[in-house]
Amino acid sequence: MEDTEIINLWKSFDKKLEENLKLNKQNAEDITRIKVKSFLGSMKPIKLFTVLVGLLWVGLLDIIIISVFKGASPFFLLSAVVLVILNKLAIGIYLYQLILLFQVDISDTILSTQEKIASLKTSTLWITRLLFLQLPVWTTFYWSKSMFENGNPVLLVLQVLISLSFALLALWLFFNINYKNKDKKWFKLIFSGNEWTPAIKSMELLDQIRQYKEEGKGGKGERRKGGKVKG
Amino acid sequence: MSGTHADDFLRVIESHKGIIYKVANSYCRDDENRKDLIQEIILQLWLSFNKYNDQFKLTTWIYRIALNVSISFFRKEHRRTPISQPLPDGVLNLNENPAPEQNNAEIEKLYFFIRELKEIDRAIIILYLEENSHQEMAEILGLTQTNIATRISRIKQQLKLKFSLYKP
Repeated sequence: MEDTEIINLWKSFDKKLEENLKLNKQNAEDITRIKVKSFLGSMKPIKLFTVLVGLLWVGLLDIIIISVFKGASPFFLLSAVVLVILNKLAIGIYLYQLILLFQVDISDTILSTQEKIASLKTSTLWITRLLFLQLPVWTTFYWSKSMFENGNPVLLVLQVLISLSFALLALWLFFNINYKNKDKKWFKLIFSGNEWTPAIKSMELLDQIRQYKEEGKGGKGERRKGGKVKG
Repeated sequence: MSGTHADDFLRVIESHKGIIYKVANSYCRDDENRKDLIQEIILQLWLSFNKYNDQFKLTTWIYRIALNVSISFFRKEHRRTPISQPLPDGVLNLNENPAPEQNNAEIEKLYFFIRELKEIDRAIIILYLEENSHQEMAEILGLTQTNIATRISRIKQQLKLKFSLYKP
């Protein structure tokens, strides 16, 4: 089918559509009376609530660390400090999401709006990455000097191996949870629920947007790709 | 909102209902989901109606909102939870057999192929088939005119190929 045929086909449908498409005025009027928040607006309160709860949680952890600082085991202190830092980073991501929520304008250009919405959705994966990064500190906070001085060597080796494995797993997941691995089995296993679908689809969309931006730079992107036409 | 303001809005929707339907139809095949999507688009148009900036054409504003809502809606795997009470009937209702019979199959095929395109490519081809200029498309999409021209050419090739390979 040639270009002109496709356009004429669209036009022929367009004409009939204008004749047959009816606006239900009553329903349209009802919409103008609905009291709802604007696009994505309903997400703001929950994000704000999470930030406030998060601040209270890290505040509490800060108080505990300060109050036991002199007497506590260095392993506990180090684990708690790492945990607080990671939690503060997670709060930072929630704040970033809140900023994006306030910036999204549904009447802005498609690329700008979709980039913000997709960034908002994919940033939830960052929170998951940070969550995984917390894993090893939950296996070290109860360590003590006496454990190393008087403990059973076999249990000690086992404990160190467990913590080391958690650390390696956490770091591996942190660096590998990204768009490139979205089709890997382990990735699909972790992010298998429907609640992850918007985030995964947003990753795909962000990738599309990056390609458009790359091509938009005076065709430099296409030349870098060896002039290949992507289907 | 004053009654006059709502009346102005309804007039805008009445005169641009085709755009809303065609955009929704390009992102949603399922009737029920499309009904929800159309309701969502009209709701978002209403919520943004106060902020309409007349430095842009009205159609530019409508396309931006309709496409942004449709692309975001499309990302949801299953039927969305409506933020408002769903209306019992659709806001836009289409009488049976809107296309001439001989064209029915062809137009269905065209929409089917359009729905197979990536989300932003889909927006580009809709705007192209709606005969928007490259400048208007650039204002709606936020892409450069050169970028749009390149993309249109590729998408047309894709569509031609799909038509030529299609076996019912």
